[in-house]
Amino acid sequence: MSYTLRGRLESRLAALLPVVVAACVLAAAEHRWWPVEAAGLMVGVALALDVQAYHPLLRYQPGWAAVPLGLAELGIVLLLMRAAGVVAPLGQAIALFAAGWLAAQLLGHACFPLLRLGYAEDGGELGRFGAAAAISVGVVLAAAGATAYALRPPVVHLAAGVHQGPLVISRREVLVGEPGAVVRGGIVVRASGVTVKNVSVIGGANGITVEGVRRTVLDGVSVSGAKLDGIHVRLAGVTIKNCTIDMLGNELGQAIDISFNMNMGMSMVEGCTIVGGMQGITTHSSMTDIVHNTITRTTLQGISVTEMSMGMVMDNEIRDALGVGIYCNDRSMCMIERNTVLDTRADPSGDPSRRGIGVLSSFQSQADLWENQLGENPVAFSSVIDSEIRRDRDFSYR
Amino acid sequence: MRVAVVGSGLAGFTAYQSLRRILRPEEIAVFGTDDDPAATFRQRATAIRQREMRSESDGHCRPTSFPGLSVRSALGRRSPAPLIGSLLDRYHPTVEEFLAHVERLRERSGWERSLHPARIERIRAVDGGFELDAHGAFRHVLIATGHPGLHVPDELRLDPRAVHAYEPHDYASTVTVVGAGLAAATEWLNALAAGAEVVSVRRREPVRRPLNVPRELFSRRGLAAFHRLSAGERVERLRALLAPSYPPGRRWDEPLALAQMEDRFRIESSVNGTEQVICATGFRQGFRHDPLLARLVDENGLETVDGWIALAPDGSVPALSDGTRTLALGGVSAQWAFPAADTLAGAKYVAHGFLRRIESCRTR
Repeated sequence: MSYTLRGRLESRLAALLPVVVAACVLAAAEHRWWPVEAAGLMVGVALALDVQAYHPLLRYQPGWAAVPLGLAELGIVLLLMRAAGVVAPLGQAIALFAAGWLAAQLLGHACFPLLRLGYAEDGGELGRFGAAAAISVGVVLAAAGATAYALRPPVVHLAAGVHQGPLVISRREVLVGEPGAVVRGGIVVRASGVTVKNVSVIGGANGITVEGVRRTVLDGVSVSGAKLDGIHVRLAGVTIKNCTIDMLGNELGQAIDISFNMNMGMSMVEGCTIVGGMQGITTHSSMTDIVHNTITRTTLQGISVTEMSMGMVMDNEIRDALGVGIYCNDRSMCMIERNTVLDTRADPSGDPSRRGIGVLSSFQSQADLWENQLGENPVAFSSVIDSEIRRDRDFSYR
Repeated sequence: MRVAVVGSGLAGFTAYQSLRRILRPEEIAVFGTDDDPAATFRQRATAIRQREMRSESDGHCRPTSFPGLSVRSALGRRSPAPLIGSLLDRYHPTVEEFLAHVERLRERSGWERSLHPARIERIRAVDGGFELDAHGAFRHVLIATGHPGLHVPDELRLDPRAVHAYEPHDYASTVTVVGAGLAAATEWLNALAAGAEVVSVRRREPVRRPLNVPRELFSRRGLAAFHRLSAGERVERLRALLAPSYPPGRRWDEPLALAQMEDRFRIESSVNGTEQVICATGFRQGFRHDPLLARLVDENGLETVDGWIALAPDGSVPALSDGTRTLALGGVSAQWAFPAADTLAGAKYVAHGFLRRIESCRTR
C-alpha cells in the first residue's frame, strides 16, 4: 500500500480505536491505569513514527513490513513505558500490543477495504469514518486522562523528622517522605491503591505491613530494626522497588515476605538491597517477579520461592547466604535467569539440604536455570524430592 | 435506465461490478459485441502463452480490493502459501485462476441481463445526458472500449514473416522479437523454450519493475503529484511511465543468460534475416485510432493533449460532466487520469470515480 500521510494517520487511528477502548475496559476491570497509559504511548509512538519516519521513508509499504515495524514499535513502547515509570505486567502489556497489531492487520487488509470502496487507491484514507475514528481516539484518551486526573489519589507529604508510628494508611493516597522523614514503629497499609515513597521505617512488629489490599506501591522505602518481617505482604498485590532493608540481628524475620496473593495477579520486587534476616525475599503461593535485587548475609535462604509459587528470579545478586542461595520449593515453578550467587556457606547443622547450595529445587518443584553465575558455592545447584532442574545446555556453572 | 457502459471488455466489466453496488442489472446498460468480458484478454494471453498475471492479489474485477485472489487461491489450495506470497508481493494469480474469477462474477452479477449486443458508433451530448446511437439517452456514461487495435511498425506491416505477438502463432527456428515489454519478454522465453534462436530488437533497454508503473502511482500518494503536473509535464511523465517494462527476477533472467551463453539469444538494433518476426509492440496509441472517441472529441471540441483526451482526476470528461450527468473514460483511454489505466487497478479506479459521481448526482 502507498499511504498518503492522511491515509496513514487515519488508518492508524481507526485501527487503534479498538485497542484504546479495550485498554480502558481492561483498566476499569483491573483498577489500574497502566493499560490506558500503555495505549496512550502506543498512539503517541505510532503517530510520531508515521509522521517522522514511515511517511517520508516508505513510499510503498509491502504487507510483510508490518512485522519488523511492529516489533520495532513494541520495543520503543516498552522502553518508553519503562522510562515513564508505567508499571505494567510485561506479559499483559505485550499481549495488549500484540492484540492491537493483529487488529490493525485485520482491519487494514480486510475490513477497511470492505468498508471503503477506494481504500487502496485513496492511500488508506477513510473519509468521514477516518476523521470520526481520529476524534474518537482523542476523546477516549482525553476522557481517560481526565478520569485519571479526577481520581488521582491525594499526595501527603511526610515532613523530615521522626514520626511516631505505627502509621496506619486507611485511604487511597500517595505518601511521600521528605528527605529525613522517618516513621518509628512501622506502617500499616489498609487501603488499595496506596503508594509509599521515600519513607524510612524504623522498628515495628513488621516494618511495613500490607494486607488484603491491591495495587500497593512501595518505592524507595528503607526499613530497619523490624521485629518480625521488614515488609510483610499477605493477600495483597504489591510492587516493591528500590527498597533498602536492614535485617541484621533479626534471626527469624524475612526482609520481604509476600504470601497468599496468587489471585491478585503479578507482584514485583525490583531493585532492593537487603542485608541479613532469615530469608531475604520469600514468596508463598504467589506470582511474584523478583528482579535486580542484592541480598547478602541471610541465615536460611537468600531468595525462597515456595508453596506453589510461580515467578521469575532474574538478575539478582546473592552473596554470603547461609545454607541456600536461591530456593525453589514445594511444587513451585521458578524461572531463574542471569542471577549471581556467590559464597554460599554450608550450615554448621550438617543438614545435607543446607550444605551451601547455590540453587536448590525441592519437593516436586521445577527450576529452569539460564545464564546464572554460581561461584564459590560448595554445591552449585541441586534438586531433591522429585524435583527438577533444567539447565541451558551450553552454559557451565563454576 | 440511467447508466450505460460502452464496452464489454474487462474494463467495462470491472466498472459494472462497482455499479452493481448501488444499481440493479436492469438499471445498467452495457453495450458491447462480446458477452464474455474476458474474451479478448483470453485470446491475447493464449497467443503469448501467458500463464501468470503480472498483477497481484488485488488484480481482480470485484469493486473492493478484499478479498483478493490470493484468499480464494489459499482456500482452494488449502495452503497459506498464496497469502504469504501476497504479503511478500510475490503472489501472482495464474491466468486460469483469473479467468475462473471473471466467469464466477459474470454468472453471479447479472451481466447478461445488462448486456446489449451492439457496437456504439456515436455518443451525442443531449440535455441531461448522452444519446447512444438509437439506444436512447443515459444520464451517466462510461466509455471503456479498450485498446484501439494492435500496433505493428510501419516497416513490418507488409513483411510476410511478421506476426503480432497477440495473434495466434507458433515459432520458427529463428525468431526476431521486436519490443521490450512484458509480451516481448514472454515471447523470448516462449521461443527459446520451443528451441528457436532468438534475436531481440529494441529501441531502448526495458525498464524492470514489478507492475506497469511504480507502485505509488496506484494510489493517491503518487497520483496527487501526477495530477498537479502541467499538461506538458504530464505528457513527458506519461511517456516515461508507459515505456516498455517487465518484472525483475530470476524467472526471466536465468533462461536468457543461459541462452546467451549458448549463443541462442542476442540483441540487435534492427530486424535481420530470421524466418519469423514477432511484433511484441503493443497497441496503437491515441484516441484518434478509436472512431468513437475521435468523433466524440471532434463533435464536442474536447481538450486533448498529444493523443490523450484531457480528463479530470476521476476519469470524467470535464466539458461534458457536471452535477447532473457524467461522461467518463475507462480502460486505456483514461491514462490522463490514471497512468496504469489499462490495468485492472486502473479500471477499478475509474469505476470508483464514476460511481461516486452517480451517487452524488442530484437527479440520479
